[in-house]
Amino acid sequence: MIDPTVLLTIVLMASVTYLTRIGGYLVLRNRTLGPRAMAVVEAAPGCVLISVIAPSFVTNNPADLAALLITLLAATRLSMLPTVLIGIASSGLLRTLLG
Amino acid sequence: MTSDTVSLDDTATRGWRGEFRRGVAASAPMLLGVAPCALVLGAQAAQKGMSVLDVPLMTGSNFAGGSEFAAIQLWTSPPHVALIVFITFLVNSRHLLMGAALAPFLQHLPKRKVFPALFLMCDETWAMSLADARRRAARGIGPAFSLPYYVGTGLCIYVAWVAFTTLGAALGPAMGNVEAYGFNLAFPAIFLVLLRGMWTGFRAARPWLVSLVVAALVYLFVPGAWYVAAGALSGLAAAWLLARDA
Repeated sequence: MIDPTVLLTIVLMASVTYLTRIGGYLVLRNRTLGPRAMAVVEAAPGCVLISVIAPSFVTNNPADLAALLITLLAATRLSMLPTVLIGIASSGLLRTLLG
Repeated sequence: MTSDTVSLDDTATRGWRGEFRRGVAASAPMLLGVAPCALVLGAQAAQKGMSVLDVPLMTGSNFAGGSEFAAIQLWTSPPHVALIVFITFLVNSRHLLMGAALAPFLQHLPKRKVFPALFLMCDETWAMSLADARRRAARGIGPAFSLPYYVGTGLCIYVAWVAFTTLGAALGPAMGNVEAYGFNLAFPAIFLVLLRGMWTGFRAARPWLVSLVVAALVYLFVPGAWYVAAGALSGLAAAWLLARDA
């Protein structure tokens, strides 16, 4: 059975997400955003994504930090699949090598 | 690109089914990127205590990968409802802009078709359909926006996303602690590639740097998952303040 809190979280997530999908069409189709509001909306996804992975940047495990740098380099020039594979491989390898 | 232009020539005479198939064909290569991401998401979700039923319920009703990765990363048992919903909204707020950009191309469609169709709007379907609509407009094909093409791209990615996240959730427990094999870097890798896709230059990325620094500091010194909200909000504040000299 599904836990009621889990169900509530999923239902609210889905509702909020759907609102963002129709919201732009409904509210913004006949309007232009000011430059500041535009800058905030444009920056929002990147700010959130980088905040979520921020802990990886301040890990005290040198193997993980080195693997993160390799992954960062890979992400600047490769597509999703090879970058993920390089990230996983370098982290797994460096953790084994550096203990 | 050449195959695109060739296939565009006969779109005017194609029926709904032909346009739908053109959409499926265009999004098929994307599945190579979607499937592994979905597997990792499902596996990670299972390790965080979500069941094989919870996962398709979430990925099938929400259908927005970025927010699901963020939610799983913050997932606890029981989940922190307000935090996860708030972060979901922040990650998906870009849909507001995407919908606004698509709106002028949807004017020939009734709302009863637009509302269900917008459920399928994700980064990939949006980008492909908008590009397709601009190409068709340039070639004088009307209407520029092809609804069946869009639905084809969207459904293809939707089915793959829900199926592979579910598969990941089913296989997750058997894989043991995926972090031990280096899977702890799967999420940062995915997020870094997504960020690279949003990169438009250092100037526009300054708020990201603010977010990174604030989130890292809050993570180190404040217990709990507040670092995400703190980092995100300070980045948005920086975007607001820096916009003046943009």
